[in-house]
Amino acid sequence: MFNDFFGKFFGKSGNSRETAKKRLKFALVYDKLEVSDDLLNDLQRDVVGVISKYFEIDTSAIKLDIKRSDDLSALVLNTPILSARRR
Amino acid sequence: MEGKIIVVTSGKGGVGKTTATACIGAAMAMQGRQVAVIDMDIGLRNLDVVMGLENRIVFNIVDVVKGRCKIKQAAIKDRRIDNLFLIPASQSDNKDSLTPEDIIRLSKGLRGRFDYIFMDCPAGIERGFENAVAAADEALVVCTPEVSSIRDADRIIGLLYAKSITPKLIVNRIVPEMVARGDMLSHEDVVEVLSIDLIGLVKMDDKVVIATNTGLPLVLQKDSEAGNAFHRIAQRLNGQPNLPIENPDNGKGFWRSLGRKLRRRN
Repeated sequence: MFNDFFGKFFGKSGNSRETAKKRLKFALVYDKLEVSDDLLNDLQRDVVGVISKYFEIDTSAIKLDIKRSDDLSALVLNTPILSARRR
Repeated sequence: MEGKIIVVTSGKGGVGKTTATACIGAAMAMQGRQVAVIDMDIGLRNLDVVMGLENRIVFNIVDVVKGRCKIKQAAIKDRRIDNLFLIPASQSDNKDSLTPEDIIRLSKGLRGRFDYIFMDCPAGIERGFENAVAAADEALVVCTPEVSSIRDADRIIGLLYAKSITPKLIVNRIVPEMVARGDMLSHEDVVEVLSIDLIGLVKMDDKVVIATNTGLPLVLQKDSEAGNAFHRIAQRLNGQPNLPIENPDNGKGFWRSLGRKLRRRN
């Protein structure tokens, strides 16, 4: 209570500045990781094209996703391989 | 003569773009340059009222682009400040009335007539933004020390980089007392988060509201701290890039520094 009074008296308050900074940095990192559906579709189309040169794949079962954890993001591609292309 | 086009932008609305445009443009004109300030907020014009020139509008930027008048006819001369001209926005059209190509075409005539052309960009990242930055050589990004404003500034900075423009930052409406007590982001915090160069720091100043109320240019008031900060920003743009950026934390008073010492101990 004494501290409260002194805090008010001298204009001390919570440390919302640090909170703001932390939240902001976090938000900006996440904003930049956001990928549009169009981009993901284009990427999938290109990736399928490249893989198809070497493997026969089931293009309907392919799945492209971005997985996020706390400190990194990963591009995850899952596709069943039907057979390798013989050259 | 080959004028320079500077866009004043922010992403978020209401952070002081229009005030900054009016003040920096006016200050630049007071330094002897031929200046045009252009309101690019088609449909929601406001630069005219901030500058106190709303009663003198005849033609607007859309009229110029559509060939209904010449640049000279649309540019309203400020009678209080020599060399200062306003080209207002149209109030009856919308952002789609102009295209970036229109502005690039128009920019040739503007560069020939003025030393500095300031584009007051509308809020948002859509067509209005695209139009305002289309012909820009440089950009000033305005933000306040608030989370929402800084996040939007970050987005705008990214879009400007994509157009090969490296913007400079103005942190507006700083309240040094709040920064000192840890309740407002400091300009160092903002610069750290956005990692771009500063060009000016502007304190929260009641005189800005009063100047807008009356339509009298803020930069003509010698005792306005914000007005003086805008004067110095204009100087930095106008050949004095190394003019020191003053720290708005003006804790020089005895009682204030005593208070801060006690607080630190608490």
